[in-house]
Amino acid sequence: MKLSIPRFWRRRFDYYSIKITECLDCGRKSYPRRSICVYCKSRNVRTVTSAGVGEVVAYTLSYYRIEGEEENTPKIVALIRLDEGPIIIGEVVDVDKSEVREGLRVEGVLRKLKSEDPGGLIYYGFKFRPLIRDR
Amino acid sequence: MTSKKVYIASTSMVRVGRYFTKSYKELAFDVVSELFGTSRLGDLNNLDYVIVSNVFSDSMLDQLDISAILAQELGLTPKPALRVETGESSGLTAIAQAYALIRAGLASSVLVIGVEKCSEYPTTVVNKHLTKLLDYEVESIYGFTLVNEVALLMKKYMREYGYSREDMSSWSVKMHSNAVKNPYAQLRFTVTKEQVVSSQVLSEPVRQFDSFPISDGAAAVLITSNENLIVGDDCLEVEAVYQATASQLNLRDELLELPATKHLLSKLLNKCKFDIGDAVMEVHDSYSILGYLVVEELGLARRGKAPETINDLNNVNLSGGLKARGHPIGATGVYQVAEVFKILTSGLGDVRRKAMWGLIHSMSALDVNSVGIVVRRCS
Repeated sequence: MKLSIPRFWRRRFDYYSIKITECLDCGRKSYPRRSICVYCKSRNVRTVTSAGVGEVVAYTLSYYRIEGEEENTPKIVALIRLDEGPIIIGEVVDVDKSEVREGLRVEGVLRKLKSEDPGGLIYYGFKFRPLIRDR
Repeated sequence: MTSKKVYIASTSMVRVGRYFTKSYKELAFDVVSELFGTSRLGDLNNLDYVIVSNVFSDSMLDQLDISAILAQELGLTPKPALRVETGESSGLTAIAQAYALIRAGLASSVLVIGVEKCSEYPTTVVNKHLTKLLDYEVESIYGFTLVNEVALLMKKYMREYGYSREDMSSWSVKMHSNAVKNPYAQLRFTVTKEQVVSSQVLSEPVRQFDSFPISDGAAAVLITSNENLIVGDDCLEVEAVYQATASQLNLRDELLELPATKHLLSKLLNKCKFDIGDAVMEVHDSYSILGYLVVEELGLARRGKAPETINDLNNVNLSGGLKARGHPIGATGVYQVAEVFKILTSGLGDVRRKAMWGLIHSMSALDVNSVGIVVRRCS
């Protein structure tokens, strides 16, 4: 699938960092960045940048084969609760599948998402790896 | 003669399967021809509108405005035609839209055609298109797909209620045993729990036999307020229609509930007073865990109990469900309606019930766009 440069570029801050929505009315935080609060529907919200650290709430090892994603299969897909509160779906990398567990502390890391034909554009976004920042 | 009542007057289906020698046009032609042959529709003068439910025409058939193309192909011009798409629930949304047109007085008879042709490409390509059911900018671009979210849900369910992988296989076993009796089902064979737990892993703990197969199919339903089009006793009245949307998985406080389904069911069951245990139901079970959760939302099983009780439920998915009848994506909701129609009237093969009420439920992805319809037998 050919990717669209403007479609990706205009959301570069969403892909190159983890932006979350903070509701200034109900106080809840949610992912992704939106102009509304999904919980109370308020438009009185602001965007904040997550520190990208959280823990695995649930995970699955996926063998599901998708055209164009073959080189990244199998992969670990997890629900991750960010330390700021909201839950995000993320891929967990740099870890043996036997080491993934609920409660595993992880941190966001910029990784390749997709690339076009050899020599084409490469698209990056956040994935998660076991937390090494504090070591 | 018209009334404010809305009836399902006639239905037709082809067997769900993989039609390598037939195009979507031929499948649609077959069901519409049968419908014209068996209904009292007669000439086109009695028909006001054509609604086509299809999800992947532009992705897989290189075809936009499939409703006009089918109107041309099936000899339905100059009738107005449109395509409905709400992901996996498109078929039932099409029925809902037909109902709305008639209730609004804009039509008295609407032909709903559900058609999908998924076997044109290899599975990996179909899977790629299925990822589009999620939010591309937020989920699919990272390579996540519905089966991953289903897996997270299933794992949570098993953990929460203490089920083994084998315990979770009862849905598939039951659906396959139902499908054997449905002449229109794709997978007309029984499976054992052992076969389910040893099938290919899609996204653990979800395995191949927890999932719908890739299907082609076409079904047609005539919705009308014109009582002259009712054939004999073969008639259902549409009592209520509700739809609802919901947030994606990561924004839900209760992961093991289906928020849109819960919302629309409370409205449906509040409006229509009947004993749900006596109704014939077709519900959306693209993956076995979703079947369990729907059954729990319906109140047919207590929370966390569906895997233990499904074997005793003999009024849910007599067709075999998406699991074993098959899931021709945009056509599925139309199939569900046609199946309930046949079960309550002349019979789906030999499957026939004397019940008065029917309930049809469909949803897209993890219950993000869902539809529920209650029907009642006319006689």
